[in-house]
Amino acid sequence: MTAIAFEPHSTQARWRRVAGVVYRDLAAMRRSPIRVFEILFWPVIELVVWGYVTLFLQANKVPFIVSMLLGAVLLWQVLHRASNEVSIGFLEDVWSRNLINLHVTPVKPGEYVTGLILFSLIKIAGGLAVMVTLAYVLYGFGLFSVGIGLIPFMAVLLVLGWALALVAISAVLRFGEGAQVIAWSLVFVFQPVAGVFYPVSVLPEPLQWLATAVPASHVFEGMRAVLGGAPVPWDTLALAAGLDVLYVGVALWLYTATLRHARSKGRLSRFGE
Amino acid sequence: MAILEAQSLTKRFGPVQAVDGVSLTVGQGEITALLGPNGAGKSTTLHMLLGLVTPDSGGVTMFGLDLQKHRTEVLSRVNFSASYLGLPGVLHVREVLNSFARLYGLRDPRARVAEVAELLEIGPLLKRRTADLSSGQHTRVQLGKALLNDPELLILDEPTAALDPDAGERIRHLLVSVARETGTALLITSHNMREVERMCDTIHFLSAGRIVASGSAAELAAHFGVVDLEEVFLKVAREGVPA
Repeated sequence: MTAIAFEPHSTQARWRRVAGVVYRDLAAMRRSPIRVFEILFWPVIELVVWGYVTLFLQANKVPFIVSMLLGAVLLWQVLHRASNEVSIGFLEDVWSRNLINLHVTPVKPGEYVTGLILFSLIKIAGGLAVMVTLAYVLYGFGLFSVGIGLIPFMAVLLVLGWALALVAISAVLRFGEGAQVIAWSLVFVFQPVAGVFYPVSVLPEPLQWLATAVPASHVFEGMRAVLGGAPVPWDTLALAAGLDVLYVGVALWLYTATLRHARSKGRLSRFGE
Repeated sequence: MAILEAQSLTKRFGPVQAVDGVSLTVGQGEITALLGPNGAGKSTTLHMLLGLVTPDSGGVTMFGLDLQKHRTEVLSRVNFSASYLGLPGVLHVREVLNSFARLYGLRDPRARVAEVAELLEIGPLLKRRTADLSSGQHTRVQLGKALLNDPELLILDEPTAALDPDAGERIRHLLVSVARETGTALLITSHNMREVERMCDTIHFLSAGRIVASGSAAELAAHFGVVDLEEVFLKVAREGVPA
């Protein structure tokens, strides 16, 4: 036998392990047309529905800017998919009873999550490319009209989505497979206060205060400002990025603590049953 | 040289004392069995040795390294197979093995997968989806996964459970030659007493979370005044701790 491995703590070994997770998920996507279909289905449905709502409102002289609604749909998908794709990647290991196989490899929890995140980026990029093209072809809306602000807007939403995914994964580790509903729904808890389709100012005052603590609300407010002709609000984006750091910190702590708890209570073993 | 040393492992789940002071040592090239009736604590013990379950007290040392402190180094030199575990069903066997080869940080995953496929005679399965495998084929693929990193310690939970007698015999032969020729230590659980008699150097009997008897198959049979391991098992399972 001639299996030669990189030194386990070397950079090559770390990246090889992360690449192993990405390779596995890419291969699974290639083998499953349903997964490819699923990447496109919901984003396209949302875009079509909201796009025609926009056209209807526009035809009835409702005074608002069409691009704001379509921009909101597209950016909401970034947050939604970032959260769901990472959660689904983890759940697929739960569903296939493969989680124990992974936990007895030298892969560290952080490497596993990094692999899931990298794969989610590939799927999000694919889905978004289709949506952006459709938005332009069907409604004449170019997402790039948001300008340079688009990059930090998307980055804040991606990081928030990944943090929420870690919380969802932690919930499944803590409460078992039955908690997977959290993986699908957690992001929607944030939707009302994120001001996705309306300005935060329409919310009652207590919810407005709550909204300031949600990174996504600063992104959607910023997007509306930019599409209304204002410059990119770098100060609020910096605040959103700071909040992201806090969210990720809490999510990582929760994930680590839950994993420790799952090992202590024997819950991790039960994922093999 | 001791590859694995477990010292006074204990684990309680609520009111159940699953493992109660288990200590064992596995040396290089040694084949050791952990036997006992259902619920005796075998799987919990194996899972503590793999770091899947944290012991309430006691510790695990492998290759002279503390498992809790050197998890990555230790697990890169160990592997595990259990027929009850699954594999991603949509993937082809080759893709599953390739992905695990990467997870173990192997330099040339494809070459290693080819070697293991030849060793386990699973070449014809490489292009099949794991979801389409029979349980026996699935067990062989799991064993293939377990050999990928050329482990120094192989932990196997019922390695031949789903195999027909011919395939089971060939796998037993393979595992014994891996242990004897490469010095890989094997720790197995099994409910097949003939298999354990033929393969194992040392046997530990667990009952109610405690090791109640240890030795070779012949020593245990002599100790209990019976003819074979099957009767030792029945005696331990029915009477618990021996006199």
